[in-house]
Amino acid sequence: MYAELVIPVLAATIQAGTPILFATLGEMFTERAGVLNLGVEGMMILGAFFGFLFTHWTGNPWIGVLMAGTAAGMLGLLHGLVCQVFLGSQVVSGLALTILGVGLADYLGTPYVGVITEGFTPFAVPVLSSIPLAGDIFFRHDALVYLSYVMPLLFWFFICRTRAGMALRSAGENPAASAAVGLNPVRLRWMAIFAGGFLVGVGGAYLSLAYTHLWTNNMTAGRGWIAVALVIFAFWRPGRAVLGAYLFGGVMVFQLRLQAMGATLPSSLLLMLPYALTVVVLLVSSLRGGGGNAPAALGVNIEPDE
Amino acid sequence: MRKLMLLLAAALLVFGGLTGCEKEKPAEKTATAESAAKQDSAPAATEEAPAEKEFKIGFVYVSPVGDAGWSYAHDQARMELEKRPGVTTSFVESVPEGADAERVILNMARKGYDMIFTTSYGYMDPTLKVAGQYPDITFMHCAGYKTAPNMSAYFGRVYQARYLTGMVAGRMTKSNVLGYVAAFPIPEVIRGINAFALGVRSVNPDAQVRVVWTKTWYDPATEKEAAKSLLDVGADVIAQHQDSPGPQEAAQERGVYSVGYNSDMSTFAPKAHLTSAVWNWQIFYDHVVDSVRDGSWQSGQYWWGLEHGIVDIAPFGDMVPQDVRDEVLAKKADIASGKVAVFTGPVKDQSGKIRIAEGEKAGDAALLGMDWFVEGVVGTTE
Amino acid sequence: MMGYRVVKRQEPLNWGSFFIFLVALVLSLSLSGAMLAVQGKPFLKGLYLLWDGGFGQLYALEDTLLKTIPIFLCALGVAVCFRMQIWNIGAEGQFALGAVGATWAVLTFPAAPAWVLIPLMLVCGAVAGGLWALVPALLRLRLGMNEIITTLMFNYIGILLLQYMVYGPWKDPASFGFPMTPMFPVAAVFAPVVGRIHWGIVLCAVVAVALWFFLYRTRLGFELLAGGENPRAARYARMPYNFLVVFVLVLCGALAGWAGVLETSTTLGRLQSNVMAGYGFTAIVVAWLARLRIPTIAVFSFLLAGLRVGVENLQLELQVPAAFGGIIEGLILLTVLAGQFFVWFTLQPRSKGED
Repeated sequence: MYAELVIPVLAATIQAGTPILFATLGEMFTERAGVLNLGVEGMMILGAFFGFLFTHWTGNPWIGVLMAGTAAGMLGLLHGLVCQVFLGSQVVSGLALTILGVGLADYLGTPYVGVITEGFTPFAVPVLSSIPLAGDIFFRHDALVYLSYVMPLLFWFFICRTRAGMALRSAGENPAASAAVGLNPVRLRWMAIFAGGFLVGVGGAYLSLAYTHLWTNNMTAGRGWIAVALVIFAFWRPGRAVLGAYLFGGVMVFQLRLQAMGATLPSSLLLMLPYALTVVVLLVSSLRGGGGNAPAALGVNIEPDE
Repeated sequence: MRKLMLLLAAALLVFGGLTGCEKEKPAEKTATAESAAKQDSAPAATEEAPAEKEFKIGFVYVSPVGDAGWSYAHDQARMELEKRPGVTTSFVESVPEGADAERVILNMARKGYDMIFTTSYGYMDPTLKVAGQYPDITFMHCAGYKTAPNMSAYFGRVYQARYLTGMVAGRMTKSNVLGYVAAFPIPEVIRGINAFALGVRSVNPDAQVRVVWTKTWYDPATEKEAAKSLLDVGADVIAQHQDSPGPQEAAQERGVYSVGYNSDMSTFAPKAHLTSAVWNWQIFYDHVVDSVRDGSWQSGQYWWGLEHGIVDIAPFGDMVPQDVRDEVLAKKADIASGKVAVFTGPVKDQSGKIRIAEGEKAGDAALLGMDWFVEGVVGTTE
Repeated sequence: MMGYRVVKRQEPLNWGSFFIFLVALVLSLSLSGAMLAVQGKPFLKGLYLLWDGGFGQLYALEDTLLKTIPIFLCALGVAVCFRMQIWNIGAEGQFALGAVGATWAVLTFPAAPAWVLIPLMLVCGAVAGGLWALVPALLRLRLGMNEIITTLMFNYIGILLLQYMVYGPWKDPASFGFPMTPMFPVAAVFAPVVGRIHWGIVLCAVVAVALWFFLYRTRLGFELLAGGENPRAARYARMPYNFLVVFVLVLCGALAGWAGVLETSTTLGRLQSNVMAGYGFTAIVVAWLARLRIPTIAVFSFLLAGLRVGVENLQLELQVPAAFGGIIEGLILLTVLAGQFFVWFTLQPRSKGED
C-alpha cells in the first residue's frame, strides 16, 4: 500500500510547493535589483485575499490572479516609497509592510471567511499526462501550477539573457556604476519591486483560488517568510528556488501523510520540520560561503547625490 | 520647509480638536450606557429609561462568525435572539483564549450586560473569574465543566449526531476506509470520532476510521491537505471536526463522499456531501434566556442532545438511498427517546481492552474525559 | 521631485524627531479612520472609542499597564539589539522559551515557597530565553548567517516546542485532555502591587534603571552605544564587537523570557498555547520608534499597549475586526520611517537656472 503512496505524495508536493515557488521567485526578482523586501508575508496574504475577492465578484479566476498580483505589487510600491523616496531602512520597512499587509487582509477579509468561490480546477495536460509516473506527478494539476513550471525559465531568461535583465542586475550590484552608464537604478528598482510583488501576490492567490477555494486570515501561515529564506538558500538563482520550494512543500505534505499512514509521532514536532529545515539549509549554505552570492548593493538605499 | 511644518501643525491641531469634541454617542443597537461604564461596577444597571429595560446579551466567539463553522452556528442562534422584543445582543469575535478573553468578558460585564455567553473551552477560567466579580450577571460557558452560582456550563451531545452520520458513512463506503480530519486531540473531538466510528461499525463491522490531526480549527489549506492524505490511503468518505469546508472540497474533487460539521456544508460540496452533524443552539438559548428573564434560571451543567433538538443531522444529500435514510432516522428516534444510548457496552479500545462493559452505558464523566479511541480507529490520541 | 531638490542636512534634526512622530501618528490614524469609513463605520467615533478603551477609564489604564509590562521588557531587549544593527526579530520565540523555562521550574518544584520559586522562575526563564537567542547569535558570528531569518525560524520552532510540551509531557491529568499544564500554585504567581498591577512593573523599573546604568556608566555599555553605529571602526579600535553581539542577543532573550514568565504566571496561571499574544512583534515596532532611549521606550510601549486594549473596545462597540490594530501599528511604523527622512534630509527649492 505504501508504494502506491509515492506518486500522490509527489503530486501533492508540487501543489504545496507552488505558492512558495511564486513567492520565492518574486522576492528573488526584487532582491536582484538590490531591494530587500521583508514584507513578503504581508504581500502574499493580501494577494490571496484580493485574488479571492475579485474572483468572487467576477467569476473569473484569471482576473483574480491579475488583481492579486496588482494588489501585492502596490503594497510593495509602498515599501518602495518609504525606501526609495524617504530613504527608510529596508529591513524595518519590510517588517512594517508585513504587519500592515496581514492586518489589512484580515480586516478587509473577515466578512469573506466561509465563502467559497470558483477558482482553478486541475486538468490533465493532453499527451504529457499519459507519460507513466511523470505524467501523474507533474501534469494533472491546475493552470497556475503549469504556469509555475514556466516561471523559473522565464526568470532565468530575463535576468541572464536580456539587456533589461542585466540593467536590473546592475541596479543591484552597483547602482552608481549603473547610473554612470546612463541607466536609472531608482526606476529599475521601482519596476523590480512591483514585478516581484506581483509574483508574490500570485503565489498568495494560488492558496485561495487553487489549493483551496476558500479564504481565511493567516492563510499563508508563514510561507512568505519561508520564501525570504529560500531566496538565500537558492543563492539568488531560480533553479535552486525550485528545489527549495518543493522541498518545503514536501515537508508540509509529508507530516500529514505520516499521520494518515498511522505513524504516532507527535505532530507538534513534525510541524517544526519546515522551519528547522530552513535553518539547516541556511547553515549548509553558509558553510559553503553562500552569503557571498548576494547582489552587492542588496539592502542599501540609493541616496540622492546632489 | 517652514510653511510645510506650520501647515502640518495646524492640521494636527484641527484634528485634535475634532477628536476631542466628538463625545456624542448616538444611540446604537448595541449602545452601552456611558454612565454605567464609568461606574466601574454595577451589573445590570438601569438607564434613566422608563418602562422596558433592554435585556442585553453578549457573546464571545473564538473565531470569525462567517466561518460556516463553530462560531457561525452560535451566531445564527444569537441573531434569532436579537429578533425578540426588548432584547439586544452584541458579540466580539476572534477573541484569543487567555488574558484577552478575560478583558473582553470584563468589558461586557462593566457595560451592564445581563447575560454573557462564552463559546469556547479556553474561556472557562476567565469566565469563572469574572463571574465571581459580577454576581448579578448570568454567565453561560460552552464546552467546559466549571460552574458557579451565577455560571453554568453547557454543551451539546453532538456525538449522538456523529453516530448517525457514521451510520450513513458506513453504508456508503465501498473501500471500508473512512478518513477523519480532526483538529486537536481533546475529549470532545475524540468522543466525536469514537461515536462516528461506532456508528460506522454498527452497520459495517469491517470498516476502519483513520484519523489525521491538523492542530488547527480553521485553516482550509492544511485541512484540505489532510483530507487528501487520507484519500491517498484509500478513504472514500471524509468526515471532519474542523470549522472550514476544506476537507469537503477535497472529497468532492476526488469524486468521493464527505460528512460535514457545525452546519450544513452541502453548498461547498454538493456532489459529495452526505450529511453533517449540526448544531441548533437557538433551542437552548431560547430556553436559557427565558429562564433568566422569568427568574427560574439555575446554575448547572447542561448537556442536551437529540431529544431537545439542539444537535441534529443535516438533510441527506441526493445520493443517499431511501433505505439508508430510513435506517438512520429510525435510530435517531431511538436515541432521542432514550431507548438507545450511543456509548453502550461492550466497547473495546484500540488495544482490544474492554472499556465499557456489556450492557453498561458510559456515564457523563467518562464521556467528558474520553482520551482513548475505540476499536476500528487508526490513529493516536497524542 | 518637482521644484525641489533633496539636500542632506549638516546635522540631523533633533527636536524635529518628536514632531515628526506626531505627524506620522496623525497620518496613520487618519488613514486608519478612512478604513473605518470605507466599511461604513463612524470614523471619529471609532477613534474616540479607541482612546476611551485604552486610556479613558481607570480599569482601561490598568489593563493597558498590564499589557505594557511584557511589551516594555521585550522592547528594551530588541532596542539594544537594533542599536548594534542586529536585526533580532525572535522576541516571540524567546518569550515562548521563557514561559517554558518558568513552567519547568514550577512543575519540578511545585511545593517550594514563593521566595524560592519566584526567583527560580525568573532564572530559568532568562536562561531558556537567553539560550534560544544564543544560537542565532553564534550562527551569525561563526557562519555569518543572517539573524533575521534564523531568529524568525526560531520563533516558529520555539512556539511549536511550547505546544509540544503542553500537549504531551506537561499536560494536566485533571484537565480532561485539554492542552494545558496544571494550574500554578499560589507561590508561583506574582502578587499584585497596586490594584491589579503585579510586581512585574517593579521588575520593569529595576531593569530600566539597571540598563540605563549599564549603558551610560559602564565601559561595555559605552562601547555598545558607540560600536553599534560603525562595526568596522569599532573593531579597529579593538572594541569587543563579537562579545557584544552575543551579549545583546542573549540579553534580549533573557528579557523577552522574563516577559514570558510574567505573562504565564500572572495572566494565565498555567502554561497554554495562547500565552503567545504577539508581544514580540509589537516590541519591534516600539524598539524602532523609540530607538534606545529608555523613557521613550516606556512611553511607546504604553501607547501601543493602549492601542491593543482600545481595539477591543472598538470590536465590542462597532464590530470592527480585531485586525484593525495591526493596520494601525503597521501604518505608524511606515509613516514614521518615511517621516524620519526629514531628520536627515531637507528639501530646498531649485533655483530657476538648474536642470
